[in-house]
Amino acid sequence: MTCEEAQELITALIDRELPDAERVSLDSHLRLCAHCQTVLEQEALLKQSIRETAQRVRTPNELRARIFSDQRIVAKQNRTRRQNLSPLLRRARPALAAAAIIAVLLPTLFFFRATPEPLAAAALESYDRFRSGELAVSKTENPQEIVEQLTRAVDGRFHPMGYDLTGMGLRPVAGLVRQIHGRKVLVAIYQGEGGTLFCYTFIGSEEDTPRHAARFYDAAKKMNFYAFSHGGLNAVLHREGEIICVLASEMPMEELLALARSKAKSS
Amino acid sequence: MSEEGKVASARRDAFAAAAMVHLDHLYRVAFHLAKDATEADDLVQETFVRALAAREQFEPGTHMKAWLTKILHNFFFDYYRQRKRWNSAEEASKVESPDLENFAASNPGPESHVLLKELDAQITGVLRNIPVEFREPIVLVDVGDFSYEEAAAILSCPIGTIRSRLSRGRKLMQQQLKLYVRGEPTSGTRK
Repeated sequence: MTCEEAQELITALIDRELPDAERVSLDSHLRLCAHCQTVLEQEALLKQSIRETAQRVRTPNELRARIFSDQRIVAKQNRTRRQNLSPLLRRARPALAAAAIIAVLLPTLFFFRATPEPLAAAALESYDRFRSGELAVSKTENPQEIVEQLTRAVDGRFHPMGYDLTGMGLRPVAGLVRQIHGRKVLVAIYQGEGGTLFCYTFIGSEEDTPRHAARFYDAAKKMNFYAFSHGGLNAVLHREGEIICVLASEMPMEELLALARSKAKSS
Repeated sequence: MSEEGKVASARRDAFAAAAMVHLDHLYRVAFHLAKDATEADDLVQETFVRALAAREQFEPGTHMKAWLTKILHNFFFDYYRQRKRWNSAEEASKVESPDLENFAASNPGPESHVLLKELDAQITGVLRNIPVEFREPIVLVDVGDFSYEEAAAILSCPIGTIRSRLSRGRKLMQQQLKLYVRGEPTSGTRK
């Protein structure tokens, strides 16, 4: 292998995209070629610099405001007069009102959070480990057993949400207790045709939300919901009193958001 | 508004909320693709407009970040093709290096945040300065954290093209950043 031939392989090696067969050839070359070793170090350093530089770039508030005030992106509120509502619409009125109010409030309610090392983001580590097979859990077919087991783990100070998600093809299969940042986090794992969903419960506040979460306000429930993504995983956080609930799943964010809103109870 | 209209509006807002999660990512990509901040702003705003207009084409459960980035790329490509403002690969050698020697001489002091800010400016400036066909793979892979396969799908090109352009693009950047790249290994990271 010549140094010229090694160049692209070095690039792929740095990006962890080099197939094993080519890796063997490149390793042999690198052992003998000081020049290419230097090229490897310099390119790795450049990639790291680009990544770090990019991470410091944040969306300007002016652009954020511009996007949220663009009616092509966020719909303008449409008012409906009560006397024109059909009986069906009247029954659906709370949900429709929420939708309409969200349409108006959405532009102003997204903002950066400023909490370092938020618990809600740290908690998702268990989902990642479960997904990769690193986290073994003992499954049960008795949902009540999970609730009781988790509640006992925190001496009854709080309990998992115990959502019934059978309508979505999900049922509780296991429970976990994680100690994160000195606090106990209850984890209820749902699985089924609808995929996998983790429901995290812990005592906390909205300060436990990741700083870049998108927030919106459900006027009907008078509650904040925070949506954020982490490593291909979507999550939605809300607070019920002093209890924080985080739903995490690979399902689309809009579905997860709708699920959280439908299950959340106003404090 | 009819009941159907209300439901559609709620769905639209939910989609917008899901897309907004990727706002910072899109801005970072646009910021490094565009020639300046104004163009980056326009790119991101138009991406959201186009995404909302095309939301029915999005397949739930697929990679929304990649889908939005492809929309941004398509608009960027059209925009620059119309304005004929992008450099060709042949022009790579004509790109001027930033005045690094002058920067080093005029650097106000050892404060790390000042150095960091200057380093960011140099990296961003050099990245914006290389031809777009090399810049895009770097932005997607290094800034956007996409795999080669995802970057190839966004740019509609073979994976091998991504690899070769990344290699060439980083080399171009190194040539222009030689002061920094040459200086860093002396900090003890090398054996």
